[in-house]
Amino acid sequence: MNDAVPGFEPVSKEDVAHLGTDPVPAGPYYEPAYFELEKAAIFRRTWMQVGHVCEIPEPGSFMVREFECADASILVTRVSDTEVRAFHNVCTHRGTILVEESAGTRSRFSCPYHKWTFANSGELLSAPDFDKFYVDKADCGLAEVAVDICAGLVFINLDPSPEQGLREFLGPIAQKLEGTPMARATAFSEYVYEVQANWKLTYDNFQENYHLRFLHPRSGEMANGPDNPFGYPERYEFFDPHRTQTIWSNPQAQPKPFQLMAFMKVAEFAMRDELDMVTRDYYGVFPNLFVLGTATTHFSQWIMPIAADRTRSVVRLYWIGEDDCASRRFAREFSLATALDIHSEDRAVIEAGHRGLASGALRHIHFQSQEALCRHLFNEVDRRVQAYKAQQQSGGDVA
Amino acid sequence: MSALPEGFEPLEPFVDGWALGSADERMRQRLASAASEREAFFNAGKDLVPAALALLDKKSFDEHDPKEERLMLLMLSMAHVAQAVEIQQDDEPMHAHYARFITITRASADDNP
Ligand code: FES
Ligand SMILES: [Fe+2]
Repeated sequence: MNDAVPGFEPVSKEDVAHLGTDPVPAGPYYEPAYFELEKAAIFRRTWMQVGHVCEIPEPGSFMVREFECADASILVTRVSDTEVRAFHNVCTHRGTILVEESAGTRSRFSCPYHKWTFANSGELLSAPDFDKFYVDKADCGLAEVAVDICAGLVFINLDPSPEQGLREFLGPIAQKLEGTPMARATAFSEYVYEVQANWKLTYDNFQENYHLRFLHPRSGEMANGPDNPFGYPERYEFFDPHRTQTIWSNPQAQPKPFQLMAFMKVAEFAMRDELDMVTRDYYGVFPNLFVLGTATTHFSQWIMPIAADRTRSVVRLYWIGEDDCASRRFAREFSLATALDIHSEDRAVIEAGHRGLASGALRHIHFQSQEALCRHLFNEVDRRVQAYKAQQQSGGDVA
Repeated sequence: MSALPEGFEPLEPFVDGWALGSADERMRQRLASAASEREAFFNAGKDLVPAALALLDKKSFDEHDPKEERLMLLMLSMAHVAQAVEIQQDDEPMHAHYARFITITRASADDNP
């Protein structure tokens, strides 16, 4: 950590040239056909966050999440203290969506249509007049989805036989995530917004600081300085499809008086919770999640593709323990308000970027070396899409 | 009858507008308010925050009486309004234009499902 060293040195062009230097095709950022390929090549066969363990705290807890990016509705249940399961939220009789609530506590689920009733472990418990069917109950359990947990996050994989386990997929990122407050969280604050733009444009906005001084002149003041006018990060690292950056922070930043008072409260509780006060890393988890792991400004952003031109962002600030006193409650509300301000300012340019590209005016876009994380995301997405297309064309079995 | 604990009289005029029960309402009040309302609230409250929190910290939330509950909600609104007055300043109208698309769906201070 060198935040006291003056004369910031940005990551050099050569350091990230291995990602490629050519312009990047524009089509993948807006074309519906490309989005369909992403669904098949990525979203239906990659580990993706579905929620956090604190949302299903006790046996009988469940949550339902929509994955428009895979045309799927997923039911996650806690069967026991040690067992979490995931299923397609689809009745096995004739396919009706089984559970309409987004969360709750219930250990059995009855389909509204003909009252087939399932246990939270998936088996079919009862079905009216079942004698009239030509099938065994044992063959009518809910369609199971691979599920696993890392750093408090629950992940699913819609591939019926995932190529890799979750830990293998996350690689060294797993351990880094385990060090964030999220891994120990029992509560969270959350805000949600949708943008009329492709998911990669939404994600990319949070993978580069090039825009910081233009879009966040006020709220981003703390994140740049004379040595580093664009607030570029100190370092980038790449771990297969995942990527990290180490955030630079301005040693000479001058917080405003009220802000300083509130930050002191935030820091006091971060220290009381024994958070890692040194690490200032951002973790980009393929395909659609990133986590900012700093002790005093930590949040995760879950970028849910809805359509080629529509994306839902779910931002969460995870907390260890309930609010136990007024000062902690105030500090958490201040952190929430601070994060929200930065997010709100990006919305217009993300949508304007999509509108511009979707006009078809451009064949290519350009990434500079300090937009390396954006390029890396494109590379990882496109590699999978091209491999899937090649497999299709060769008539290979792509299940 | 005063609506707040003793010592917080300067905040009385803001109870109706700013003692709001959810984070989303507090944010929306910040976005909907006039600059003069925000400034009046922030200026009346900013130096009282440490004393208010010190008072409220002495009891658990269950033990807060209605006056203390209102004071707590005002402190939470201060967290939002400070962003507008102290940080965004004259950029706030532009900022508010975009922020209205965001919904706070859960906050540690709120009664969550
Ligand atoms: S479709 Fe569910 S019981 Fe018939
Ligand atoms: Fe931004």
